Amino acid sequence: MAAEEKLSAAQRGKIRRLSQPRELAPDEEGGELNIVPFLDIITNVLMFVLATVTVTFMATIDTFPPKAGTSSVRPPTTPTLGLTILVVNDGFSVKARGGNVAPGCNETGPGLAVAKMPDGKEYNFEGLKKCVVGLKTAFEAQNSGAADFVPETSVTITANNNIPYQAVIGTMDAVRKTEDGKELFPDVNFGLAR
Amino acid sequence: MQPQGPPPQGPQGPPPAKQKPASMATYKRMLRKEIKKRALEPEINFLNITAMLDMMTIILVFLLKSMSASSASLPQSNDLQMPKSILTTEASQDGVPIIISKSHIMVEDEAVVEVPSDATHGLEAKYKREGPNSLYITKLGQTVKAWRDIDRQVRPKEAAGGSEAIIIADKDTPYRLLVEVLFTLGQNEFNKFHLMVLQGGKLGGG
Repeated sequence: MAAEEKLSAAQRGKIRRLSQPRELAPDEEGGELNIVPFLDIITNVLMFVLATVTVTFMATIDTFPPKAGTSSVRPPTTPTLGLTILVVNDGFSVKARGGNVAPGCNETGPGLAVAKMPDGKEYNFEGLKKCVVGLKTAFEAQNSGAADFVPETSVTITANNNIPYQAVIGTMDAVRKTEDGKELFPDVNFGLAR
Repeated sequence: MQPQGPPPQGPQGPPPAKQKPASMATYKRMLRKEIKKRALEPEINFLNITAMLDMMTIILVFLLKSMSASSASLPQSNDLQMPKSILTTEASQDGVPIIISKSHIMVEDEAVVEVPSDATHGLEAKYKREGPNSLYITKLGQTVKAWRDIDRQVRPKEAAGGSEAIIIADKDTPYRLLVEVLFTLGQNEFNKFHLMVLQGGKLGGG
């Protein structure tokens, strides 16, 4: 039988020689483009970009154009809160239901509803939030029984000419939501101080 | 003639009989077997970093693209520091960016009007339509009107009711100047403004 045939010494030597794994030439080694330097560059650029770019998270507050002059809109038939906040140098003047809200936010009368903090530098945004929450709660308690009652979500914010933009944004933040996330007055219209 | 006998033997004994070579089929079979046995396993003698490279390139391109496309690429300098807000919603990217810095009012990176050092009474009368008390800034109005016309042609359906603007203003911008800009935009059929703020502030911007 052929399987029992013995190879001669010459055949064994030849088989040994031919079955050696072929060594790759230097230019064949790897068989792939050497991308390590490219990877180094990419990594460096990535690190540089991440380290230098300060990631700032932005948000936008949606508003509408300011209205000048008297409004020609017909007066509503149902009672409305008509909240207007005027930011002045000494604090916030608040108007609701056509009247000026007195200091303390409990009744109508002259004066600033929410004055600045005792140091006279910072606006009392927390105080404004409490005042607005109180006004809205009282108004809704009085009128929520009406058939055509719709909760108000719009506020008109006006400021003196010199009031900085940051104070206006702070005012919008203060009247947007309650502490527990309940919606107050997210729809802001800008007014003009006369 | 003498009969031929076996070859004479030397002192080392008889030479080994020459082995008969195996058949070619056997030789080839054995060669194949041996090659197979000695073949090296496909050795991974380098790290396959192609996949990682792909990933990193994609991340890099994504970062560069998203940062250049968003208004977050705006440099915060002394001339323009945006106000902080407690809002955490995503910033809208719709609309023409109007930048109100301490020194200029810009529309899409093009300076339109210079802002005076004291802008608490708004811009100077020479920029206004009807004198110092007017709210309409003429040059800004012309620029945004051109933008509005383009917007109306490009997005006839969406822009039919009005265009949108992204207001990027310095935190110390006086209210009067802000209102003049918004009023001018409103007069040119811009009916929605996105006021750009920085997230993460405390109530009141602290």
